[in-house]
Amino acid sequence: MAMRSQVYEWSAVAGNSARGRASGAAGGTTLAADTDLSIFIGGQGNNITKPAETTATQFIVIEDVACSPQLEGAVQVRINTTDYFQNPDVTDQAGVPGLASPYPRGAPLPKAGALGNTADVSTSVLPSFTLYPSIYVLPGQTFDVLYRSGVGVATSDAVACFVKYTLYDGPDALIANKLLEMGITVNPNNVDWYKRSLLEGGMA
Amino acid sequence: MAMRSQVYEWDCAGATATALIGTKTSIFIGGAGNNITKPAETSATQFIVIEDVGVTPSEYLSNSNITAYRGLILASGNEVAGPRAYLQVTINTTDYFLDPDGIGSDGVPGTAAPYPKSTFFQGNFNLYPDVYVLPGQTFDIGVTCYNVSGLSGTVAKGELQAFVKYTLYDGPDALIANKLLEMGVSVNPGNVDWYKRSLLSGQ
Repeated sequence: MAMRSQVYEWSAVAGNSARGRASGAAGGTTLAADTDLSIFIGGQGNNITKPAETTATQFIVIEDVACSPQLEGAVQVRINTTDYFQNPDVTDQAGVPGLASPYPRGAPLPKAGALGNTADVSTSVLPSFTLYPSIYVLPGQTFDVLYRSGVGVATSDAVACFVKYTLYDGPDALIANKLLEMGITVNPNNVDWYKRSLLEGGMA
Repeated sequence: MAMRSQVYEWDCAGATATALIGTKTSIFIGGAGNNITKPAETSATQFIVIEDVGVTPSEYLSNSNITAYRGLILASGNEVAGPRAYLQVTINTTDYFLDPDGIGSDGVPGTAAPYPKSTFFQGNFNLYPDVYVLPGQTFDIGVTCYNVSGLSGTVAKGELQAFVKYTLYDGPDALIANKLLEMGVSVNPGNVDWYKRSLLSGQ
């Protein structure tokens, strides 16, 4: 199991704690407008025990990020201290809007003019965005995923973020690094291809 | 029939909702809903590839003032509709899905891997690379849910379901699957057939 498909879901729901999730009651998070919140260690909603990072023998490929489309939500990926999504003038931005990458796919469309608080449950938001090329987290790097709401999150709101990534560990992480040096996309197929080519070379 | 596409659907109907909350329940032998007669395992001549998993979705809402939401239960005053369910695959004693800090998580949320899929819940997750269950291993799939208000007191049919799609390789095809694994080739019916063809054409 040296290549593993992994997911992380963060949600702001009352009673969520570092390791625990809670019932459906609202009241989990109060977040000011235009403020970044780490979904891993932000202290709101469910969190993990330490900042997300790769060891010397791990390589992570982030393949999808998404968040609730209401409340002008957006999601940003940060590698070490650098934000991945930037404006064309290389200034900071909120990241991928939940309206472009909704979680879940098919979430209700926020009604226009209602600051995203009210949903039209008869209409679904479908993704306009695909994270391709994927984002690489090299061995030894830290990474974070940040949620931001344009209008703020009140205690009566429940919002969520989602990250899908593939973790390459041990020999497969070395191969992922090698593929990166070769300018080849790191994905399970190409890692398998490199292994086969090594075996064929060894057998010849 | 040495390669067989297989499915398993679990419906938690009849279970007591409060007994499920915060506890991982095996969909095979958990004692809730439909179960099988013994833990799922592969024999020495079997190889299983789990290709898809899904569980009942949930939805996170803002200022909801509705009591029924797209087929999910939404209790008054709550902002989460549905059971808030997660699905974890366990091989022998090891959880497959981990948090980024390396600690076992609840697994894939139903919101990301919904069952059933619908226009409202299309899924953000696909299980790729697949999960391999090697010969002689046991495997289990556990569902954990947190929102008791998203379920009836006695769970009704369709309120909490899970689904697994896997391919069972048996006999010679299981040996070929092992060989492909050694070679670093993905185990799927196409590659097993390719290996068989290459053996035949080598004769």
